[in-house]
Amino acid sequence: MNTSLNRRHFLRTSTALIALPVLESLGFQRFASAAKSSARGIRPKRLVFLGFGFGVTQDSWYPKLDQTGSGYTLPAGLEPLARHKADFSVVQGMLNKHNSNGHYGSTFWLTGANEFGEPGQSFHNTISADQVAGEHLGKGARFDSLVLDCGAAAGASGHGQGLSLSWDIRGKPMAGPKNPVEAFHRLFAKDTTPLDQQKAMLAQRRSVLDNALENARELQRTLSKTDNAKLDEYFQGIRDIETRLSRDEKWIGVPQPKPPIQEPKSDLAGYEEIRLMYSIMAAALQTDSTRVLTYRQPVSTLLTSLDIRIDAHTMSHYPGKGPEYLEASEKRDLAQSRLLAEFLDQLKSIKEPDGSCLFDHTTVAYGSNIRTGHNLDNCPTLLAGRGAGIKLGCNIAVPKDTPLCNAWLTLLQGSGVPVERHGDSTGILKQLLA
Amino acid sequence: MRLPRLTLTRSIALSFSLWAGNNIPLLADASPKASMPERHRALLSENCESCHGAKKQKGKFRVDDLPMEITDLPTAERWQKVLSAMNSGEMPPDDEKQPSPKSKTDFLDDLANVLVTARRALSDQHGVIALRRLNRREYRNTIRELLGVELDVSELPADTGGPHFDTVGAGLFLTGTQFEQYESLAREALDLAFSANTAATVPQKTHFECESFNPIFRKKNKEGLDAMARAKDWIAAVDSAIARPENAATVADIRKIAATPDALRYHWKNIPGAPSPTKFGFDKTTEINPAIIYLYREFTEFAQYDQYYLNLPHLENGAYLTVQTRIGGGNNVTAIQGLPIPANYPPGDYVVRIRAGATPDAPAERRFLEFGLKGFQGASTPALSTHHVTGTIDAPQVIEIPFIFSKQNADRGHRNLFVRERRAADGTHDQRVKEAFKRNGFGPEVALWLDWIEIEPVKDHNIPSGIRALDFPLDPQAPAVPKEKLRPSFENFVQEAYRGATVPEGLLDRLLGIYESRLAIGNTHREAVKHALSSVLSSPRFLYRAEPEASGSHRTLSGQELAVRLSYFLWGGPPDATLRELANSGDLLKPEVLMAETNRLLTHPNSQRFVRPFLTQWLLLDRIDLFQFSKTLFPQFDDSMKATARQEVYETFSHLLNSNAPLSDLLRADYVLVNGLLAHYYGIEGASGDRFQKIAIPAGSPRGGLLGMAAIMAMGSNGERTNPVERGAWVLRKLLNEPPPPAPANVPEITRLAGKSLTTRERLQAHQENPQCASCHRKIDPIGFGLENFDATGIWRTSDFYQPVSESGVRDPKLRKTWTIDAAATFHKGPAFGNYFEMRDVIATKQRNFAKGFCSALIEYALGRPCGFSDEGLVEFVVQQCESTGFSTREFIHALIQSKEFQSK
Repeated sequence: MNTSLNRRHFLRTSTALIALPVLESLGFQRFASAAKSSARGIRPKRLVFLGFGFGVTQDSWYPKLDQTGSGYTLPAGLEPLARHKADFSVVQGMLNKHNSNGHYGSTFWLTGANEFGEPGQSFHNTISADQVAGEHLGKGARFDSLVLDCGAAAGASGHGQGLSLSWDIRGKPMAGPKNPVEAFHRLFAKDTTPLDQQKAMLAQRRSVLDNALENARELQRTLSKTDNAKLDEYFQGIRDIETRLSRDEKWIGVPQPKPPIQEPKSDLAGYEEIRLMYSIMAAALQTDSTRVLTYRQPVSTLLTSLDIRIDAHTMSHYPGKGPEYLEASEKRDLAQSRLLAEFLDQLKSIKEPDGSCLFDHTTVAYGSNIRTGHNLDNCPTLLAGRGAGIKLGCNIAVPKDTPLCNAWLTLLQGSGVPVERHGDSTGILKQLLA
Repeated sequence: MRLPRLTLTRSIALSFSLWAGNNIPLLADASPKASMPERHRALLSENCESCHGAKKQKGKFRVDDLPMEITDLPTAERWQKVLSAMNSGEMPPDDEKQPSPKSKTDFLDDLANVLVTARRALSDQHGVIALRRLNRREYRNTIRELLGVELDVSELPADTGGPHFDTVGAGLFLTGTQFEQYESLAREALDLAFSANTAATVPQKTHFECESFNPIFRKKNKEGLDAMARAKDWIAAVDSAIARPENAATVADIRKIAATPDALRYHWKNIPGAPSPTKFGFDKTTEINPAIIYLYREFTEFAQYDQYYLNLPHLENGAYLTVQTRIGGGNNVTAIQGLPIPANYPPGDYVVRIRAGATPDAPAERRFLEFGLKGFQGASTPALSTHHVTGTIDAPQVIEIPFIFSKQNADRGHRNLFVRERRAADGTHDQRVKEAFKRNGFGPEVALWLDWIEIEPVKDHNIPSGIRALDFPLDPQAPAVPKEKLRPSFENFVQEAYRGATVPEGLLDRLLGIYESRLAIGNTHREAVKHALSSVLSSPRFLYRAEPEASGSHRTLSGQELAVRLSYFLWGGPPDATLRELANSGDLLKPEVLMAETNRLLTHPNSQRFVRPFLTQWLLLDRIDLFQFSKTLFPQFDDSMKATARQEVYETFSHLLNSNAPLSDLLRADYVLVNGLLAHYYGIEGASGDRFQKIAIPAGSPRGGLLGMAAIMAMGSNGERTNPVERGAWVLRKLLNEPPPPAPANVPEITRLAGKSLTTRERLQAHQENPQCASCHRKIDPIGFGLENFDATGIWRTSDFYQPVSESGVRDPKLRKTWTIDAAATFHKGPAFGNYFEMRDVIATKQRNFAKGFCSALIEYALGRPCGFSDEGLVEFVVQQCESTGFSTREFIHALIQSKEFQSK
């Protein structure tokens, strides 16, 4: 009995699993303002997560805690975002309580997992919020989600272990394009092959995958339970490709979107690299190629491109060092805020078919698990966009050490993702409800 | 003789102290204990229980029933909460009773360490090795052995950088994306291998006589001088028009907007009688903007340099490496002209030879040349290697350099080799030209002379095993081959790819199926073969090192499995034919044969594929590439020096392996392994050339052993200043095997000293005021102080300075503080030392600790799983074996390989 045939049969026939491109995902729970915005026309919800590893400058990035609500003074580190002040909120007091590694700015940022949570294993992680979202929001687009990275090594990038911000349903690291060129090609590479040939190639591809599965099954029978747990990654990898092929099949004949931007050049690093990646992300949303994006952005090369000669780790420990370290840290904040402001500009300027703009249907979460140095409490959290119907324009203080996953849960539910909990969440953030 | 299997029946005491002596009591207890010493109960009951006790459970957290021994995750989490709350200063609250600094420091010290122990115990894999995927470098090496091609694997995840070695199975993930990368890499590798195999002829070597560059130089020089003369003529002609009395009013008018003579001449069109530059041979654009003419006029210094060069001797049979000059001057045998790799040279292995000599007056530091391939960064592309020029013009030497021309470089059209003087591309070029010109009137004297350069393909007559397996034509035009003929070839290929394992039933039929279906959609024979075989190279039996055992129980490895473990350990790649034969015959299972093979593998050049990745990860050498070293402060520590300093670590360890010298030579030695460049850097006499040589050093030299190595000291810096904390922690981790707990989260930073004019020591002293800091830094910082005589690049110094930046952001020299380095300090709960040498002597007595740390690293690397407490018995076994031989380095490898753990699944 060929089990793969069964499964594939299921994949091909089940519209529940592989929805058609035009379907809008409707959540079970919506906040009032989100419902309002969707009344203008049914547009898909989008979620974007931008992670920047080595924290921010404590004194100049956070709004003052005695000025909560909308009447707060924009701190210097967020100054470049002044024109968007009414359209984002800063949430203070969030914590991933299980993370005790002061060098992991991204590893558990979207997962809230406990590194030591699995006895007999030296490392453990769980699914990240974007992947939860991708499972529900992503079905109508070409890609469930798009995972972007800067190719940083785990050691000193400020991001910690992982291949991106994203971790799959089994808590395994996910990889994706590591620079703008790769990202552009992933999204917009032209397939000029005639239709019938594309179909024939899909069939070929399936037989190759069948063969790979058969090879794996042959090995599986001979292995121990623990070895098979590892080999399962191989099976899962093949299944992921199969799922994608089934989706590709639906998309055969649907013309590839015309890239709204130029093909990027290869040798950009740092500031220009991030800027370009943001443009590609906006283009991905604009063409509805994907509805869920993560980007683990570079810090070290950003500093180099700003002509800062201090290494990123030393900079993140600026307190107690000379003013040049503080200055470097502040410059970094400004550059990152400037880039974010431009990204928000783009989301606001891109019109949707119903006359609204991308910003109306998108939520951008921007932050890191690290505050400053090795501090992991009150991790920087900036939320923008009207997609999840959250309260914008405010400096929001939540009780100290509120699980960061409560914020993710709020965004997920607000975007129509039917989940009751995420990571170590204890509920949604009522303070975020508009 | 089989060596006895050691099972862990002993535990280790957890609150061990480095200075308590080496005889740690080995109790007959079954498992290691992570236990807070009972004495700390007092702190909890006196300072915490009033709020977090049975009665009042503030924050639903109580400590009165907290078990002192951590045996499960919930207890670990509760203790972690205590540690985090105290580290952040949140608990006890400021307005509550505080513990004494001393008891708080000790409490935090013990708790941090106990938690590390608990984490390690709770995550112990108890000898289970998770199925190991080939990591990125093993994959590259394996493809190279099988198909003879060097792939660029940079698109694959690096597999390094985590808390464990890149051999640890649990950390080696695989995703769908990666599967597709393996498929496409396999197709690329097969394509290259087929092409190499079917190439009609191997190209001959290409030889460049360097004197052929001199005519180009002369021509450029002539053009430069001519342009200079024409520039001066035009300027003179315009100036004479300006000087005409009848133009005086016009000129006065123009002067109002163009004050200088150069600016004035921009307006030549408005000055009657001033001629167009085109009449002087300049092009049309100069009529609008004559800036380039001014540039030509200023070529004087380069004209002088050219004159100097053209009068040098030995131009009839060679050329000198010159400075790069602007238009006109300089022959630039260097990056500018380059040496093109001929268009018909395919990617592959080459050897480049350079016949070179130094001029009689060349100073020692200028007798180094850099070799490389010009890439995206043009002339400033980092060099691939640096070479010591020991020959002279009368008696030149031939430098031979192995060179891999990669497919990526071929695809990008990067075919220009360069040879340049060391430091030619470090950004100080203009400065040096200016200084020399001021001094001698023509520019930097030449130092290196080249006779010729050649590049030759390496003719490898060994057809790689994977290709040898295929007994049919592979050229693009070859017609289809019948199944009966394909089947045995495919079988041979699979067996090679699967490292000798039996070919699974059904696989060959499936491969033939792929082949046929590919032909059916119009692929050629070669394409179809490529697709069939690429499926083999992306199958789990190739990508994973499977050791089948369905029952999950431990068993002894088969000969083949042992051969695979051995070769991936010591060669980072598959077993060769000899090893495979011994595995198949079963001889490899005999201890003496295994020992002989271990020796053979260690002596083979491929053992560098063990030495480099192991040492890099064990000693965390990648840190040296984290930051830019200041070119102004450390001009000598350029990329060449950095690479050479790193090489010293590898070469020294290789030397220990090859000569079976004591491992403790890494703690202190009366010799160093250096090449010409490094000897020059250290100021050590007696070494020259590129080969690393063992050189005895005088008593009193700070060199000899890891602490005296530039690479190790440079890692403990930020590229500008030393980082005593990083250095101290490294010594505790790597040399003394008493790793400090990981940097804790949420400890408030000490900010009150920012920008103050303090010595490094005064600054770090602040760590002692605060129990959260002191609990770790009292161990770390003293060792860092002992190393302060080494600057950020490992050069010995006796004084240091700090230059604060004032409030207004300027570096005020009046604030600059200079001090004499005081390296005296006291180990925490240990002896005092007066200077670096005394400290090193103390560290050198801890060779057993060092051996244990080394051994744990080796176990993790070789077995592919974290070294847990359940390995304590194995560590002890290996260390005891080696102790009797005075910790001979090779014995560690033998003892581990001969152990039951290495030989069983």
